[in-house]
Amino acid sequence: MKALAWIRTNLFATWVDAAITLACIWVVWRFVPPLLDWTIFKAAWLGDDRSACGAGGACWVFIRARFDQFMYGLYPSSQTWRIDLAGALLVVFGTWAGWRRLPGKRYAIPALLVVYPFIGLWLLLGGFGGLPYVETRQWGGLMLTVFMTVYSGIFAFPLGVLLALGRQSELPVIRTISVAFIEFWRGVPIIAVIFLASLLLPLILPINVDRLIRAVVGLTLVIAAYMAEAIRGGLQAVPKGQYEAAAAMGLGYWRATILIVLPQALRISLPALANEFIALSKNTTLVLIVSLFDLLGIVHAASADPKWVGYNVEGYVFAGTIFWFACFAMSRWSASLERRLGAARSH
Amino acid sequence: MSPALRRWFYDARVRAWISQAAVAGAMFGTIWYFVANASENMVKAGIASGFDFLWRTSGIDVPFKIVDYTPQNNIVDLLWVGVANTLLVSLLGMALATILGFLIGIARLSKNFLLRSLATGFVEFVRNIPLLLFVFFWYFGVIRALPPPRDSFAAFDTFFLNNRGLYVPAPTEGHPFAAVSIAFAIGVVLFLALRVWAAKRQASTGKAFPIWAAGTALIVGVPLAAAIVVALTTSWNVPVRGGFNFRGGFVLVPEFVALLAALVTYTAGFIAEVVRGGILAVGKGQKEAAASLGLSPGQTLRLIVVPQALRVMVPPMTSQYLNLLKNSSFGAAIAYPEIVSVFMGSALNATGQAIEIIAITLAIYLIAGLAVSMFMNWYNSRIALVTR
Repeated sequence: MKALAWIRTNLFATWVDAAITLACIWVVWRFVPPLLDWTIFKAAWLGDDRSACGAGGACWVFIRARFDQFMYGLYPSSQTWRIDLAGALLVVFGTWAGWRRLPGKRYAIPALLVVYPFIGLWLLLGGFGGLPYVETRQWGGLMLTVFMTVYSGIFAFPLGVLLALGRQSELPVIRTISVAFIEFWRGVPIIAVIFLASLLLPLILPINVDRLIRAVVGLTLVIAAYMAEAIRGGLQAVPKGQYEAAAAMGLGYWRATILIVLPQALRISLPALANEFIALSKNTTLVLIVSLFDLLGIVHAASADPKWVGYNVEGYVFAGTIFWFACFAMSRWSASLERRLGAARSH
Repeated sequence: MSPALRRWFYDARVRAWISQAAVAGAMFGTIWYFVANASENMVKAGIASGFDFLWRTSGIDVPFKIVDYTPQNNIVDLLWVGVANTLLVSLLGMALATILGFLIGIARLSKNFLLRSLATGFVEFVRNIPLLLFVFFWYFGVIRALPPPRDSFAAFDTFFLNNRGLYVPAPTEGHPFAAVSIAFAIGVVLFLALRVWAAKRQASTGKAFPIWAAGTALIVGVPLAAAIVVALTTSWNVPVRGGFNFRGGFVLVPEFVALLAALVTYTAGFIAEVVRGGILAVGKGQKEAAASLGLSPGQTLRLIVVPQALRVMVPPMTSQYLNLLKNSSFGAAIAYPEIVSVFMGSALNATGQAIEIIAITLAIYLIAGLAVSMFMNWYNSRIALVTR
């Protein structure tokens, strides 16, 4: 009876409602069974090549056959444990910094932002300390996506903080420079920035810069500008009394900012920062246009292989699923953070 | 240090100037260093500089254009082709994404469980997937996988969709679009005049005028009537099936259709959230107050809810429009000839003048973005809450 009442109020409250419900049921019925057939019931799961793929269903054999490539790019298969280890360390450091119940919070964020980048880079690149050198040309797949997202995020964070402070500064020259810098990188498309970095960096620097570094520099500049705006929101939300109290205690600008204002501002802007980070991690896929093959790029390239031509939709579904779960998890984390910080502030 | 020098050194104003001079100096120093390197490297590589190349014959063919252009034209004309293509896909995308986004945003607030869930599912799906994946999916997964021209999908025997794009009728002579735009402008002017008159009449007699029904009739009806009249009077070049392909009409290439579909479906997910947030931001008490004044639900929506929701929605909508404008550059990934693709891609490859071309491209985006945000800011200030 309860179920019936629920159906009445939620699905058939009025005639219009009933019509909408029927239309929705029709849409679901029209699309969901064929979709399930394609992805699961009629799909081919086992085999080694395309002869295993039947008609009418997805060919997941393609993903199985190319799985290592999608994860590691052209990284030598004897060395992929280094990527796994770097990834595991990232999870460890990330959990330490992001989960509030773990001890040693004071050291977690510096460790993630300063110590981890060196360990990770050494593991991936090698060249000394017993690890053979793997040039960035061989990097690709999901590891490249994660690498670019994490490293541009790590480099962009301090730059974003400085830009946000610069934009709030009382000194006109510094404010103007910061505003111009932020608005410039926010106003142009990321794809143009990636082109710009890949074309201009070799021109304006005396040394030749690695292709991957160029892409990371381009992404960093853009992410920093977006992060600066998120942090500015946090800075504006810090009550003015906090500055005045710091000044009354005799603290100068830098000490007041670092000890009193920034910790509060960053706490407030953390959810917004996380959202910017998610949005921009999706845009790392654009490095495809300078022939760097991140997860989406390598899936796309693999589906152009004559051996597997015609299975690109399977590839997109696979890449899309990974992106979806990663971004969804991050956005849920950011939403819970927002709720928690909001609750903490309302006391 | 002598006391006078000391006092001077600890003066806040002096310190401010010193730090600003240091930052500006460091910045100009870096720029100077980059420019010096660039000119040295350019001399080494034998790259010319200057903007003369813009007037050279381009020699580049563009498969899709809405302005007159041939490879014999110069590079400025090529740039203009890219700008026109960018604006075409962006403006059309903004209009369609707004409509779809509003529908989905309102559906998310529906009392109907099924409709609400479907809309929520769509938004969650869209927001967590890279736009490039949408573009690839629509291009390689959908449009390219459509049947060949022989088995096109047809609507009214005038519109045809197949793996070579969307075939639409094209006017052979006259300017039907100009006529419709003029009709639209007339409709808007009449509507504004009517609104002033209706407000005056209501102030003096208290009688309300069905201004929104009349407004819809004027703004939608007048251009529609004009469109019908024009469509019947101008001669149209309708695509006809012939052999293996179509003859006549205008072809919207697969790249255009796929990019537009991707931009619309992706941006609509974000606009839906803006719309939902805007409507939720209007307090429940506002609706109750309106009801207690005796306003009908329609009047409440029109006079109380929408104006307040718009105030919340306009700034985030502005950034969605700007994003869409910038995201039209994703067309470069499937070779839709927009600015980045034809200018930073083809023209740069042909001339090698990286710095000039990059500067022009970025300037165009900055100017276009500025125009969009100026328009939206003007609109925002018009509807903003007046506080005293």
